[in-house]
Formats: sequence, C-alpha cells, structure tokens
Amino acid sequence: MERKLYIEEGSDLENRLEQLRRERGITQDELAAALAVSRQTIGSLENGRYNPSILLAFKIARYFGKTIEEIFVYEEDAE
Amino acid sequence: MRRLGSYLAVAGGVLLVGVGIVMLRLAPEAQGVLMVLAYVCIGVGCGAFGHGMGTILSRWAVKGHPDVQRQLAIEQTDERNVTITNRAKAKAFDIMLFVFGALMLSFALMEVALPAILLLVAAYLFVVGCQIYYISKYQREM
Repeated sequence: MERKLYIEEGSDLENRLEQLRRERGITQDELAAALAVSRQTIGSLENGRYNPSILLAFKIARYFGKTIEEIFVYEEDAE
Repeated sequence: MRRLGSYLAVAGGVLLVGVGIVMLRLAPEAQGVLMVLAYVCIGVGCGAFGHGMGTILSRWAVKGHPDVQRQLAIEQTDERNVTITNRAKAKAFDIMLFVFGALMLSFALMEVALPAILLLVAAYLFVVGCQIYYISKYQREM
C-alpha cells in the first residue's frame, strides 16, 4: 500500500485544543482574540475540520506554554 | 493613501457619469463608438463611484469602534478565512475554464463573427498563460 506523504485535511491530525481551553477556563471567543483569529477557526480546529498552519500551531503552543507535539498529534497510518 | 484612493474613485466616478450624460445630451443622435463611449463612461463611473463610496461608508461606520475595527481586521486576515477564499477562487477558476470552453464552442456553432471568437480564445489563453506564469513563479519562490 502506498505510504501517505501528506496530511489530509480533517484526518490523522488530532489535537487537545478543546481540552486545554477548558482546563484554562476560557471561551472560544477569548482564545480567538488572544490568537488574533476568528472564533470559527477555533471551533473548526477543535472539531478537527481544519488543520492550522505551522505559524498558528506555534502561536497556540506558546499561548498554552506547551510544545506543538503536546497539542497536535499526527497519527501515521500503519503500513 | 487608501483613503485618498477612495475619494479619488468617488470624484472620478461622478466626473465620468457627468461626462457620459453631457455626451448624450450634446449628441443625442450619435451613433457607433461615440454612443457606446457615453454609456461606457456612465457604467464605469457608476462602478467607480459605488466602489469608492462603499469603502468610505464602511470606514465611516466603524469609525470610533476600535473593537469592531480589530474584529474586522481579524476576519480579513484569519488564515482559515483566507484558505477558504483561495480554495473557492481555485474552484471557480476550474469552473470558469469549462464555461469559457463551452462558450467558445457555442459561439463557433452559432457562427458568431470570427473577431469575437478570436478575442474569446485570446482571453482564454491569456488566463491559462497567467496560471502557468504564477505556477512557475511560485515554484521558484517556495
């Protein structure tokens, strides 16, 4: 089977954004304002419908004081 | 600078509409290019006026509301919104190529004048050429 060399939108990449946000006790609106993105972007990220750019991933990681890998998990397909 | 551009668009639009109306009044019997030019002036003038006035009014509406201004700036630069817009544009471009092709075929079958068909073919090739140019440009840049 051909190995995937790219990340398909809305698949394989999971994140703990919603969990971290709830732990901080902040709303999607507040997180969106802090990251200078729209609330819909936060909602889509949490639902896994949208994968962030590397810049936004860094901003999110810095906001929560974690590494990107601690927030975003890429599940590679098993061969 | 952008504000000046909006005012210039409004002023230019009013001027063009005025010129178009004057041309129609002075030469109501005009035929051919002169008559078309008057209506082109009115059309382009209305477009420029509407675009400029729209920009001025939207700026005026959010004046004194920094929160709204910031939210609008976020909405415009939000990476998901930009991605969605670009993806929609790309989809529309693909559809446009099919529509152009169908239109050229229809014009040819309808035996429309050759210059009109050639213009359409030239426009089609120009758009495809632009696509190739930008693919090459971005290949070098990225």
